[in-house]
Amino acid sequence: MADDETAVGEPGAASESPLTRRSWLGIAAFWGGLAVGYGTLAWQYLAFLLPARTKPRTRLLFAGSLSDYPVGGAREVHDLEGNEVLIRRTEDNLKAFSSRCPHLGCRVHWEYEQGSREFFCPCHGGVFDADGNPLAGPPAQGNQHMEEVKLVIDEASQTVYLEVRDVPHQERA
Amino acid sequence: MSLSAKQFTVGFLGLLFLAALLIVAFQESKQHRVEEKLDPVVTATNRGCVDCHAKDSPALVMQWEESAHARYGVGCVDCHLAEPEDIDGWQHEGAWISALVTPLDCARCHTLEYDQFKGSHHAKAGEILASLDNVLAEKAAGLPDNIADAVNGCWQCHGTIIRFERDEQGEVLRTGKENRPVIDPDTWPNSGMGRLNPDGSKGSCHACHSRHTFEAKLSRSPENCGKCHMGPDHPQIEVYNESKHGIAFYASRDDMALDKEGDWVLGRDYSAAPTCATCHISSYMTPQGEVITNSHDVGERISWTLRPVISTKLNMVVYDDGYKEDYPDGKELPAIGDTVETNEKVVEDFELVTKTVPRTVASVVTWEQRRDSMKAGCLNCHNDTYVDNFYVQFDSLVELYNEKFARPAQQWMDMLTADGVLNPDAPFEHEVQWVFWELWHHEGRRARHGASMMGPDYTHWHGMYEVSKHYYTEFLPAIIEAAESQSAALGEKYRGLVEEHLAQPEHTWMQGLSPEEAERLRQMYQQRYGEAGG
Amino acid sequence: MSIAPSSSTGGWRARLSEMFPFDWELLRIAGAEPIPHHLKRWWFALGGTVMYLFVIQVVTGIALTFYYVPTPEEAYASVGTITTGVRFGWFIRSLHHWGSHFMIVAAILHMLRVYFTGAYRHPRQLNWMIGACLLVVTMLFGFTGYSLVYEQLSYWGATVAANIAEAMPLIGPTAATFLRGGLEVGSNTLTRFYVLHIGLLPTVALVLIGLHILLIRLHGVTELEDEGQPVPEEKRFFRFWPDHATTELIVGFVLMYLLTIMALIWPAGLGPAADPTHTPEHIKPEWYFYFNYRLLKIVSLKVSVVATLVAGLAFFGWPFIDGWLIKRKWGRELPLIIGVLAFIGFLVLTVWESMT
Repeated sequence: MADDETAVGEPGAASESPLTRRSWLGIAAFWGGLAVGYGTLAWQYLAFLLPARTKPRTRLLFAGSLSDYPVGGAREVHDLEGNEVLIRRTEDNLKAFSSRCPHLGCRVHWEYEQGSREFFCPCHGGVFDADGNPLAGPPAQGNQHMEEVKLVIDEASQTVYLEVRDVPHQERA
Repeated sequence: MSLSAKQFTVGFLGLLFLAALLIVAFQESKQHRVEEKLDPVVTATNRGCVDCHAKDSPALVMQWEESAHARYGVGCVDCHLAEPEDIDGWQHEGAWISALVTPLDCARCHTLEYDQFKGSHHAKAGEILASLDNVLAEKAAGLPDNIADAVNGCWQCHGTIIRFERDEQGEVLRTGKENRPVIDPDTWPNSGMGRLNPDGSKGSCHACHSRHTFEAKLSRSPENCGKCHMGPDHPQIEVYNESKHGIAFYASRDDMALDKEGDWVLGRDYSAAPTCATCHISSYMTPQGEVITNSHDVGERISWTLRPVISTKLNMVVYDDGYKEDYPDGKELPAIGDTVETNEKVVEDFELVTKTVPRTVASVVTWEQRRDSMKAGCLNCHNDTYVDNFYVQFDSLVELYNEKFARPAQQWMDMLTADGVLNPDAPFEHEVQWVFWELWHHEGRRARHGASMMGPDYTHWHGMYEVSKHYYTEFLPAIIEAAESQSAALGEKYRGLVEEHLAQPEHTWMQGLSPEEAERLRQMYQQRYGEAGG
Repeated sequence: MSIAPSSSTGGWRARLSEMFPFDWELLRIAGAEPIPHHLKRWWFALGGTVMYLFVIQVVTGIALTFYYVPTPEEAYASVGTITTGVRFGWFIRSLHHWGSHFMIVAAILHMLRVYFTGAYRHPRQLNWMIGACLLVVTMLFGFTGYSLVYEQLSYWGATVAANIAEAMPLIGPTAATFLRGGLEVGSNTLTRFYVLHIGLLPTVALVLIGLHILLIRLHGVTELEDEGQPVPEEKRFFRFWPDHATTELIVGFVLMYLLTIMALIWPAGLGPAADPTHTPEHIKPEWYFYFNYRLLKIVSLKVSVVATLVAGLAFFGWPFIDGWLIKRKWGRELPLIIGVLAFIGFLVLTVWESMT
């Protein structure tokens, strides 16, 4: 019999002997091995029970051709939840922003004038530059930016897509 | 084994098990989960259309819902939106639309495909309206007030000019509270390939990309082309079905990745067989590992024209505005930068007219270059000797047809015209004109198409056999008969000419085989079939 | 005997032990169960192996039940979904698949060990009979489980099995109708097999396993006779916990490891779907029924069914036959010879069937 085995009839004999380093390591190896092995299996088992996501979280929505966006122009489109998005074109680029003012939620307009390409919110006079950065009014004081929405442009067909969150049928506007 | 040894063993085995489970996790990550197709998106603009038409024409709306368009929120108004000046536009339930969606409408997004298509033969398919085919349909098989043969026959493949009913003032007739324009029922429905649309565009995208699902699977299938590219005068689908290409396709249809989204490349996405689209339009791999992308100009890879009486090789002149012209080999090619007075058929006042439009030459593509771009596709499955030799075989058949039958036949017809027998204004007056017509337009084409796509039976029995039989037994006698109809003397003259013609080496067989040839033939039959046979 | 503090002095610990007044000392004593030292020999772990595999089957089986649909229209497709559409589905299913084969092999090996160590002899006859029932239950688990996949072989295997059952004397037709849930294999059959597989058989197995282990505890594990060297008294027994338990856990890990390797290299696949209108050319049951299937082809249906039943009864009541043989002073060698011959017979029939 090995030195750490007890003869029967001596209940708890081994548990009363002082814990040696070897026995401590042994216990650690024992429980560690069980935890690592069965723990991983348990994780895979749980993953099995959770149905995997089979649909991507975002999708592309058609938003017209590049030719629909003359320089200086903007169009309103909506995402699947009914939120309005402004897609504006400057000489440099085409970008999209939520039309919801970050201050108190009013509807921001794209006002294009020679030299001043700005978004304007009529409620409290908030002004943003073409990249949605606040310039004047309450948004400037609170350093609140317009929320940018991702655009995907297909060069080959010159079409513009808005990347929006995919929501189930019932939640769509 | 001591307890601590066992405990360490458990620890070790736990790690070993973990290692195995990590391999399991790795295997799991390699599993391809089929992504669920995204559901259709009905945007606010299209909601009204869908709500109503889902009841009026539910299957139509269901088809759209299955389409890739619907997955991106491209709906009814996005395609049916009419320009303010469109003659076929009308205000329908809050939107200015046209029922007719033309290539220009598709080009709002599919610009590249339209640019390729608009210069192609497909776009010009409707320009045969003034041809002999039309005479046959409208006159020979038509009544003065009823050209239903053209309407239901020729126009449905080739397309027609879209016309409108007129009121007494000659204005477009409009009806109903929405002032909907009344289309000439002879011209709609029509999805002919070369439809001539009111907005000036030529063609019909949905001739191949059937609406409203616009499935790639359908467009890539050979049956799609077979709707029009079939029949006694150009049996491409029949030849394909006979050929090994077709056999391979039908046997491995499920492996063809026909419904693959995005591009569809031979030598990368599929390999089992080519379809019509594969060779004439679609993308393929090059030996250098690059992808040659598809082109909606179906003529880009064609080096022969098999259409006319006498086939010629085809060079192509491309102008700066995308307009393309085929130049038969032999016709002098302009240089890049030259201004050429091109003759273009356009629709003016709902009639097809020829206009002269000066254009600048942007590039010239020779028939060799066109053939090379076709051969590059063949090289995916066949080696270059195979491909080159095929073209030798194909070329020699076309030349055989040209030299033995087509050229002489044309010369006979020209002679009769010069002698005043044939009237250019009465193209089907004499039997010989019908026979000549079918000789080149039907069996002559069948022979050439058969050789072009490896359909041996079409090349021979439906092709050259019938060409030769009709030439000898019907055409030549009909020449004499036509000449005789003018005068007995002319008939005699042509009888002599025909006799002379038949004395030429390639025709003397008619008089009989040489004794040696006859003997060989007799012996072959005796050996094979015995005394009774042959 | 509890020395737990009372609630007036011990606080929350005392309140808990009043809510659940279990004497934890009992567990420690049970854990100190003396195990005869020959159990340190690894092949005495076979019983534990079977039980461990049973646990694996239950755990993986429960997971599979989350996705399996027990109707003829959807069964096959749902198994396909598990195999390809669910995360780690192929793995859990393969563990279950290979676990079933391993379990039957382990049960047979355990049975052989018990047989050849004479551990079925008085007073342990009852435990042998329970074990025999457990072996049959395990094979029925395999049979019903495989039928649930509803592949061609599942469907037609069930059909053949029911036909064989029908040939049993007296109870045959009733048994076949009970199995099929009717006159033909159909959706009733699938439902029955499903209920058997996830409900009735597990319950029966649990009860039998419980009795089996209880009897082992009550009787103690048989000591081997004629061991050779005498073993000193104090070394004749060792503790269940942690010693023997650790051994069992090692065995468990080795099994998990082997099963995982099997799952990786030979994952459970899917044959063609069940087609009641088309009988496949070769219908074969699972390998553990080969011996019976082979017998069927050698002798007539009735003879083979009766022979199987007689052999089964002999197997079940073997301790009493053995006891009778010993009383007849035909020595202890005869049971050994019979055992070897029977096992060889089983092997020969099985391998023979596997080769055709």
